[in-house]
Amino acid sequence: MKDRIFRDILPNVSKPARYTGNEVNMIKKEWDHSRIKMAFAFPDVYEVGMSHVGSKILYGLINEETEHLMERVYAPWPDMEREMRQHRIPLFSLESFIPLPEFDLLGFTLQYELAITNVLNMLDMAGIPVWSRDRGEDYPLVIAGGPVVFNPEPYADFFDLFLIGDGEEVLPEFMDCCWENRHLPKQERLLKLAALEGVYLPSFYRVEYQEDGKLKQMTPRLESLPGTIRKRVVRDLDQAYFPERPVLPYMNIVHDRAVLEVMRGCQRGCRFCHAGMVYRPVRERSIETLQRQADRQLANTGYDEISLTSLSTLDYSGVDKLVKDLVETYQHQGTGVSLPSLRVDAFSIELANEVQKVRKTTLTLAPEAGTQRLRDSINKNVSEEQLLEAVKAAFQSGWLSIKLYFMIGLPGETEEDLLGILDLLEKVRALGDQYARRKVEIRASIASFVPKAHTPFQWQAQSSIQELEQKRKLLTARKMRRIKLSFHDSKTSYLEGVLSRGDRRLSLPIFAAWQKGCKFDGWSEYFNFAYWLEAFQEAAIDTEFYTTRFRSYDEVLPWDFIDIGVSKDFLQTENEKAALGVITEDCRWQECNDCGICPAFEVELDIKEEVQG
Amino acid sequence: MRVRMEYRVGNNLKFLGNLDMINLMSRVLRRARTPFALSEGFNPHIKLSLGTVLPVGVWGEREYLDLELAEEIEPTVLVEQLNRVLPSDMEIKRCIKVDEKQPALMKTINAASYSFILESNDDYLALPERIMGEEQLLVKSRGKQKGVDKDLRPGIYKITVLPQEESVIIKIWVNVGEPVNVRYDELRDLLVAQGVKPEAIVNIFRSGNYIRIGTDFYSPLEKVS
Ligand code: SF4
Repeated sequence: MKDRIFRDILPNVSKPARYTGNEVNMIKKEWDHSRIKMAFAFPDVYEVGMSHVGSKILYGLINEETEHLMERVYAPWPDMEREMRQHRIPLFSLESFIPLPEFDLLGFTLQYELAITNVLNMLDMAGIPVWSRDRGEDYPLVIAGGPVVFNPEPYADFFDLFLIGDGEEVLPEFMDCCWENRHLPKQERLLKLAALEGVYLPSFYRVEYQEDGKLKQMTPRLESLPGTIRKRVVRDLDQAYFPERPVLPYMNIVHDRAVLEVMRGCQRGCRFCHAGMVYRPVRERSIETLQRQADRQLANTGYDEISLTSLSTLDYSGVDKLVKDLVETYQHQGTGVSLPSLRVDAFSIELANEVQKVRKTTLTLAPEAGTQRLRDSINKNVSEEQLLEAVKAAFQSGWLSIKLYFMIGLPGETEEDLLGILDLLEKVRALGDQYARRKVEIRASIASFVPKAHTPFQWQAQSSIQELEQKRKLLTARKMRRIKLSFHDSKTSYLEGVLSRGDRRLSLPIFAAWQKGCKFDGWSEYFNFAYWLEAFQEAAIDTEFYTTRFRSYDEVLPWDFIDIGVSKDFLQTENEKAALGVITEDCRWQECNDCGICPAFEVELDIKEEVQG
Repeated sequence: MRVRMEYRVGNNLKFLGNLDMINLMSRVLRRARTPFALSEGFNPHIKLSLGTVLPVGVWGEREYLDLELAEEIEPTVLVEQLNRVLPSDMEIKRCIKVDEKQPALMKTINAASYSFILESNDDYLALPERIMGEEQLLVKSRGKQKGVDKDLRPGIYKITVLPQEESVIIKIWVNVGEPVNVRYDELRDLLVAQGVKPEAIVNIFRSGNYIRIGTDFYSPLEKVS
């Protein structure tokens, strides 16, 4: 098959290096000598999927440390899809060029809601039925993990099983269980797998709705199945597997550099933040471990950049020492260090300057809201003073372009908050005029707030598309020199909102949208909102039910049965504190805020270095 | 110290772009811990320059690069170190020390040969004479002036046909750069216009890059002072 692809197909498609495999550090295990054969599918294009750290972890872990095998597959770009369908080539893995139906297990990672149409499309390209009920004994088990499946319900009818929480914690044991029970019929195998913690078997749960359309209850069909599914948590991140020989792509990918995951989790407690709630508690890696990983990764890849990644890297207790060490060690080789986004304070700038000695990166800050009142309300614990202090320090040390992130449509937002964004931007520019060496450029990226499951704002209403457009008009009305605003597409955010707090009834419109031709919905050039609207209409789904509606605290939410460790009481309290504009301090500096995870999961904050808070 | 290397880029890597190849080489040099020289400034990069761009979809039997080193190193040692970490379908074949005042590879390479592997029972032995006998060989340009008629004839120097067991290799020596830059895809169009069936062309590679002086073709490793 490989020869045919090389000869007849790849010369006709854009970026053929997406499909050739055979990269440096690729692991191709003996097919016949491996136990469970799993294809790991990333439902987006190669250069996006290859940049994803979680995928690298699972790939290395399964291939290096277990008897099982994992091969990769990404969503073919539409030009490639056309060629493959025309030549009747089924979707294949990059390592062995083996069609997906020949695998035992097909695992998708869902990093964003809109990727679901690509999942259906990839299944279809592989010749695998998209509905789980249509897949008999002969097909691989189709499973999913990733941040999106903390509310798996909208996708429940497409997957056989979901893996909830930290993948490296559950996947090896899941695959072992697949192997032990490989001779059993599918239904029995599924039940064995569902007995593992963190594994959810959607087809064995009955969902009932009230007359008003709200969820009534969700019950397992068998007594042996749990009523709630507890996420899995890596307890000791320092000892956890991390790849030291990541696959080195030939073509340029989105994040083309060595990465260190300095910590997992974040408990700053921003009330809009999904990742901040579902990945608690904070677990850090030690500086020694990270130095060793950096050294081996660089030796095995030849990358000239190391990126420190996590939800909030500047909060890593060892960040100062680690960055200085890395810069000092690798500077003479022309190898730089990069920090993804910066905390808004002077310490950040100092550290950014350290990094900039080797390579200039864009300075990005995320105040999220335009006024102190609203920042307090969303618990973004930053004062205007701190922000301006940081900006001034940045200009003084030579930065000339600053990017700021904001959100609109936040709960309780007023016109004053919106105009506050503009005022803040103008203050930033004024500091630039005063302190920078040349004319500065200020850019603001403005996203629309989407309430997410498992956050304090899960009960809140999302702004309608019309409201968002009005807010946008208000913001663009003021003419500002050397300040550029860019907005996220409000329709995309709206759809994301429908899916992120959706339930099982959405599977029909998702299927219909895909049938109409929706795919690569995260790519503006392919996003087709009209198809989605048609699909919702045909399924008689009122999207406002999911988006612009306030939910009451006693409503049963579709994702309530997923236990992320953080209690619903805590989320409710946080939501109420938001309305009052009362902040909740980071539990790392203050006493425990009783979010619930530490006692419930018998875990602890794992902070490696002493820091002055 | 400056070195010049001759290397092979195999079939598996033929879909890499030029930037991909530069990245690949830079990473190979870092993995091998080669004492490369870095440029000055905020964005230091390895002083590495590839010869003429190897087109996407074409693999290369003899490609060339120049590299600046910060330390003296025995070329044979360097070759060994690099070959240890190169992707499986690539190989450094030769390496020599060259004078730092040598003009850049890009400027000295002025000819190349492309080899077309044909799977067919047809007899192509008369093809070279026929093509070389033409006054004009018009194809639609695939280069800068896309679609415009372009006469390849002045840019074609030599054609050979080499029958293999189950295939035939047609090798064409062409000019690179001014006055007529002949591209591999234009040559393919030319062959098709001369009666070769498109589906018979199963693979294309660049078999060499040369410094042409009169009717002689020298490898860039030969013509260095
Ligand atoms: S339980 Fe307490 S210490 Fe643990 S993450 Fe929650 S607030 Fe922080």
